[in-house]
Amino acid sequence: MHIVCVIKFVPDVDNFSYNYETHTISRNDSQMLINPDDACALGFALKMKKKDPQSFIEVVSMAPSSITSQLENILRVGFDKATLISDSLYAGSDTYVTSKILSKYLDKIDYDCILSGTHSIDGDTSHVPSQIAQCLNLDHLNSIYQIEEDTFNNSSAVVTVENEKSSITYEIGLPAVLSLSRESSYRLPYVRYKNLNLDVSDKLNIISNKDLCFSAEEVGLKGSLTKVKNTHVKTYETRDKKIVASDDNGVEVVYNFLKDKGFI
Amino acid sequence: MDTKIILKQLEEMLSKEQVSTDGEALYDAAADRYKKYAKARKVLNVPTPIAIVYPKNTEEIRKLLMYCNDNGVNVIPRGGKTATEGGLENWKDVTIVIDAYHLDSIVKIDTYNSQATVQAGVPLQELEDELRKVGFTTGHSPQSKPVAKYGGLVATRSIGQFSTLYGGIEDMVVGLECVFPDGHVSKIKNVPRRSGGPDIRHIAIGNEGTLCYITEVTIKIFKFYPDNNRFKGYLVKDVESGIKVLREVMVNGFRPSVARTYSEEDAAQHFYHFYENKCVLLFMSEGPKGIVDATVKAIEDAVELHKDGIVKQVDSSLIETWFNQLNWSQKDIDDEFEGMIENDSHSGFTTEVSADWETIPKLYDSVINRVKNEFPRAKDLTMLGGHSSHSYLNGTNMYFVYNYNILCEPEDELIIYHHPIQKIIVEETIKFGGSMCHHHGIGKYRSEWTKDEHGSAYYMLEKLKEAFDPKGVMNYGTIFPKEDGLKYIE
Amino acid sequence: MKKVLLYIEDEFCDESLGLLEVSRKLYPSDEIKTYAIAINQKKHSCINGLCDVIFSLNDEDIKTYDQKAISDILSNLQSQFSFDAILFLATHMGRCIAPSLAMKLNTGIVADVTAISNENGEISLIRPAYSGKIMAGINIVGQGPIMMSVRSGIFSFEDYKKVDTKLIELKNIAHRLGNIKIKNIENKKIPYDIRKSDVLVSGGAGCTDLENLNGLAKLLNAHVSASRAVVDKGLVSRAIQVGQSGKTVSPSLYMAFGIHGALQHVEGLKDILNIISINTNKNAPICSISDIVVEGDAVLFLKKLIKRIEKGYQNDC
Repeated sequence: MHIVCVIKFVPDVDNFSYNYETHTISRNDSQMLINPDDACALGFALKMKKKDPQSFIEVVSMAPSSITSQLENILRVGFDKATLISDSLYAGSDTYVTSKILSKYLDKIDYDCILSGTHSIDGDTSHVPSQIAQCLNLDHLNSIYQIEEDTFNNSSAVVTVENEKSSITYEIGLPAVLSLSRESSYRLPYVRYKNLNLDVSDKLNIISNKDLCFSAEEVGLKGSLTKVKNTHVKTYETRDKKIVASDDNGVEVVYNFLKDKGFI
Repeated sequence: MDTKIILKQLEEMLSKEQVSTDGEALYDAAADRYKKYAKARKVLNVPTPIAIVYPKNTEEIRKLLMYCNDNGVNVIPRGGKTATEGGLENWKDVTIVIDAYHLDSIVKIDTYNSQATVQAGVPLQELEDELRKVGFTTGHSPQSKPVAKYGGLVATRSIGQFSTLYGGIEDMVVGLECVFPDGHVSKIKNVPRRSGGPDIRHIAIGNEGTLCYITEVTIKIFKFYPDNNRFKGYLVKDVESGIKVLREVMVNGFRPSVARTYSEEDAAQHFYHFYENKCVLLFMSEGPKGIVDATVKAIEDAVELHKDGIVKQVDSSLIETWFNQLNWSQKDIDDEFEGMIENDSHSGFTTEVSADWETIPKLYDSVINRVKNEFPRAKDLTMLGGHSSHSYLNGTNMYFVYNYNILCEPEDELIIYHHPIQKIIVEETIKFGGSMCHHHGIGKYRSEWTKDEHGSAYYMLEKLKEAFDPKGVMNYGTIFPKEDGLKYIE
Repeated sequence: MKKVLLYIEDEFCDESLGLLEVSRKLYPSDEIKTYAIAINQKKHSCINGLCDVIFSLNDEDIKTYDQKAISDILSNLQSQFSFDAILFLATHMGRCIAPSLAMKLNTGIVADVTAISNENGEISLIRPAYSGKIMAGINIVGQGPIMMSVRSGIFSFEDYKKVDTKLIELKNIAHRLGNIKIKNIENKKIPYDIRKSDVLVSGGAGCTDLENLNGLAKLLNAHVSASRAVVDKGLVSRAIQVGQSGKTVSPSLYMAFGIHGALQHVEGLKDILNIISINTNKNAPICSISDIVVEGDAVLFLKKLIKRIEKGYQNDC
C-alpha cells in the first residue's frame, strides 16, 4: 500500500511569547512540534508499515525549512520518504491556500490513502483535510479514533469515528482522506538512541514553488481569503485570596461566587 | 547447569511453597528502582532470575548459599525491595533471589540494655511500632521506613532522616549474624565496645550482598521523647548560606535530629506554599526538654550570626505539617508505578553524595552548572536541585534531585537522561574529593566508579571479595565493576 | 438586503437557532432574509416560523456524513440564490462539511466563531486559537459568501417575531455521491474524562463523602475527581485521579474538598481560572493557590453548600 501522511508542525501552545505592543505571537521556530493529532496519523501509518514492510509511506508537510531536522527524525523511525513543501512565497497562507498548495503536490503523486490529523492545536480549524479532499475529489472522515487494521487495504477501510454522542463505524472506499484524533491510541515512537545520527538525506525531498508554479497572487497573504485582523491573549487575573469560615457566611460567600461566575 | 534441575533441587532442599517461579514476580525481581520506568513499561534489558526462594531460617540459607557456590548460581539477597542503585538488579542468566520474607521475628527487645534483636526480614516500621509501645524508638527513619527491612538496611549502610542526632545504621548496629557462600555462619556478639582486632561488623555492614547474607541484627534503641519536638524554618538566600548555618550548629556541638537546606527548585516540590522562590533551611530538635531547648537556642544563635544570608523566618507549624507527610508507603510506590504506565513520566531520581563543609557548596554549584551546560537534553529538565539532610562535625551530604520530560522510548530513558546526569554528579564529586555514594550504596549503577571512589584503598575491598566470595556468586555486578555488565548500562 | 443560509442538523435543531442571532449580528443595519436547509430532516418545527425559507430535501441516498453530496447541493443553491453568508453550527459534522463547501465555492471560512463584530461594515469574526489561549479576530476577503462554523450555546436568539415560512422542496439537484456507509452506531458508554471537564468537584482525604460530592457535582453540572488518598482507599477509580501520576486537568472551576495539596497533586492542576478549597487547615499548601479558602470541615461544608444551592433553585422557581 502507498500511504501519504499530511502533517503540520505547530508551536508549543503552552510556551509561546506574545508581543503585547504589536499583538503578535513571536514565532520561535525551534520550539515547533508535530501536531499531536498528526502524530497519531504517523503512528498508525508506521504500524501498517511494520505489518507490511512492502508498503510505502510518504510524509508531506508545508512548513518553513527550519523543520528539516524534525522531518529527518520522522524518517529515522521508519518512514520511506519525507516531502517538505517550503517557499518564502507561501508564508502567511491561510487554510484555503495551504490546502490548494498541498493538493497540487498530492495530485502529482500516487496514493491509496491520505492520512492526517483532525484538529491542530494552534489553528484548530480542521479545514485543511476537508479542503484537500474537496480539491482531490476524495471522500473524507475525521475524528477517527480507530482504523481496523486487518481490513485496511487499497480499496477500503473500516474506521470508527467519535462524535458528540456516539461512536460510529463506517466503511469508506479508498483512496480517501482519513483524519485521526489524538484520542486514538496510535503513537509516533521516538527515534531510538542508536539511530539518532542515522543518515536519511536520501529520503528527504524538498519542494518549492519552482516545482508547484503558483503565481504570487495565488499564495501567501495575498492569496488568502481570510486575514487575521487582531489577536489578544486570555489573561488570568492575579488571585485575590479570600479566607472564610465554614459557617453560614462562608456558605453564602461561596454560593454567591458560584452564582456570579455562572456555575449555578 | 539445567535450570529445571536447579529448580527441582531447590524445591527438594526447601519445599515447593518456598520456591516461586511466577512470571510477574520474576520480571519484577529482575530490576529495582533504578530502572523503575523501563520496568513499568516492560522493556527491561536484563535477564530475569530463575526463581525467588523464601528460606525460613539460617540453616536453609546456609544450604542455599553452599549450593549456589558449588553450582555457580548467582545470588541476590533481598529484603524490602527499596534499593535504588541497581543493587537488586540481575545481570546473570542463572540467578536466584533469596528473599528474607520468612525471617520476620523480632527476637528480643531489651529496654534496660537499650538493644533490640531482629531477623533480617523484619520491616523497620514493625520494630518501630513495637518500640513505641514501650516508649522507645529505633531512631532510624529513612523515607522507605514503611517498606524497608533490616537485612537490606544494614547491607546498604542506610541512613535515616534523624541521623544528625541518632547516626546512621552503622552507629546503631551492635552485633549481627551472617552466612558466607562457603556455608560458614558468623555470629558477632553484642557488646557495647571492644578492641578485638579490626571491627569485623563492617565487613557485613554495607556489603550490599556481595560478601555474605545477613540473617539477624542487634541494634541500639533510644528513649523516645515525642512531646518535646520543636521545629524551626527559614527562607535563605542560597544553598551556601544554609550550609553555613548547618555547620555552625554542628561544630558548636549541637545535634538537632533534622537539619536541612533545600535549593529553590527542590524547595518548590515540598514547600511551594511558602518558599517564595528562595532556599529553605529547616531544623527539628527532639529529646529531653533541656536538650531540645538548648539546641533550639543554638539554632537561633547560628541564624543570627549568619543573618546576612537569612531572608526570613517561617512559621514552625508549616514545617511540622510538612514533616508528617514525608515517608513513602507501599501505596506511593504502587501509585508511581501505575502513573509510569499511564503517562510518559515518573517522579524523578536522586544521586546522594557527601563532602566536607568547605567543599559542598562549591560541589553543588559545579554540578548544577555542568548539568545545565553539558547535558544534551538539559531543555527537557523539569527539576534540578538538591538538599543537604545529614550533617556531621566535619561535613554534610548533598542529595541531588532531578526530573525531566521523557521524550524518548522507555528503553532509552536510562542512557539518554538518567545515567548522563548521574555521571556528571559522580564525576564532579570525585573530582572535588567527596564521596559519590552517601547512603544508597554503590549498587551496579555506580560500580563504574568504585575504583575511583576508593583509590588505593580499593585493594582492601578487593581482597575481601577474593576471600569471602572467591567464586563470585554473590550479587554479580554490585560494587565490584564487571566489564560485561556495561551492556546493561548503555 | 442580505441573504443568509443556515445549515440545520436534526440532532442540533434547537441549538441552530443561535445561527439566526448570528445573522443579526453580521448585518445589524440591513434587512435579512434567512434560508434554512434541512437534508433528510424529520423536524423543521424548531425553525418553522422563525426563518423565511426552509429548503427541504428528502433523498435516502444522500447521507449527512457525505461531504461530496452535501457540498454539491449547497453549492448549487449558492449559484441559484447568491447568499451573502452561509452558517453552520460547529458540530462534528458542521466542521467537516463547511470547509469542503468553502473550497468548492472558493470562499473564505472561519471555524468555531464565538463573537462577531461589525464596525462600519467591516465584519470581524472572533474565535479561539492556540488551544483557547488566544482569541483571534478574522476578516473574510474576496467575493464571499462569508462562511463560518459557530460554536453552539454562545449566541441565543431572543425577541423574535414570527414569520411566514415558505417551504421549498428541492428536487433533482445534481450531486456526487460518496463511497461511505455506516456499519455500526454505538451510543457512548465511555465514562467522562476529567481532562475535558469544565467544573470539577474534587475529594481528598478530608472528604470521602462520595454521595454528596456527586450530589454537588450534579447541581453544578460538574464531574467528580479525586486526590490519590481517595483512590488509595479504593473508593474511586484511578481514572479520576488528579495529579502527577494521574491526570492533568484544566477546568474553569476546581473545588478541592479536604485536599491537602501535596505537590504531586497540584502538578495535575493546569491553568485553572477558579480554585476553591475547603480544609480544616487554612495553611494547607493548596490554600496558597486558591481564590477562596473555607476553613472548616469539608464534609459538613459540602452538605451546607448543597442545601444552600437547592434552596436557591427553589426560590428561583
